Amino acid sequence: MRRGTLQYCVLALLAKEERYGFDLVRALAEMNGMVTSEGTIYPLLSRLRRDGLVESTWQESSTGPPRRYYRLTEAGKAALAGFRLEWRSFRDAVDHFVERTES
Amino acid sequence: MSSTADKLVDDYLKRLNRELRGLPRARRRELLDEISEHISEGRASLAGESEADIRTLLDRLGDPEDIAAEAAERFGLAPRRAGWKEVAALVLLPIGGVLLPVLGWFIGVVLLWISDAWSTRDKLVGTLLLPGGLLLPLALGVFATGANGCEAPVGGDCPPDTTGAGDFMATALFVVLLLVPIVTTVYLARRVGRTPAVTS
Repeated sequence: MRRGTLQYCVLALLAKEERYGFDLVRALAEMNGMVTSEGTIYPLLSRLRRDGLVESTWQESSTGPPRRYYRLTEAGKAALAGFRLEWRSFRDAVDHFVERTES
Repeated sequence: MSSTADKLVDDYLKRLNRELRGLPRARRRELLDEISEHISEGRASLAGESEADIRTLLDRLGDPEDIAAEAAERFGLAPRRAGWKEVAALVLLPIGGVLLPVLGWFIGVVLLWISDAWSTRDKLVGTLLLPGGLLLPLALGVFATGANGCEAPVGGDCPPDTTGAGDFMATALFVVLLLVPIVTTVYLARRVGRTPAVTS
């Protein structure tokens, strides 16, 4: 499940602002339990780009060589919006059972 | 310390490159570029550059094998095992041409190229080393012993003819021609499934 939702976490992170790879990967890795090895995000990014959900552009950096920035495409925004709806109803359904049993 | 750092990074990228071997060239290039950029960014953000810092950076990236496995999954690639096509190709390439002159080898080549268990490079090796498989060396062997009027196998007790050095060269060439298809077949057998095939 974590694996299937990870791509939407990437899309959600990019929905706020465009980010370069290192920054994006570190932001994901800082969220506990999302990513075990940072390098495995890159195949996912590559896949998202090929699916047309994100696009990348090179931008000059003040501190070093140019960076490859990722941002959401229109298709990426639509995919994220679709997942949000699905996720909410799924989360509520799971809560309905799991939270009740616990109390 | 910088040279140690460079070496660690270099080793890491080499291992990654090796592990990504099965991916289409463009995907592999892209991943290597991005992970090199990640490492450069990481190194630039370090105050000093101790060996421990570099090792931590690389550890956080993770084992190249894990990255390659993730890439194979994300791109819908699955490792291939040998099926009937691969087995038939491995049999026909060396001895198909002998069993069914020329045509048997040719069928082996067709099977080799329609199989997706080998990379293009492996397929070229299989085709060019050696066209006809064992047909050429065996035909030469039969021809040579026939010409000598001698029934003994090569390396046997044929009376030396006038050109001893030429004979030695001919025997050496014969042995090489005989070994090449065998070595190629062993190589191809070991390479089956090393190149993941696109399944989606």
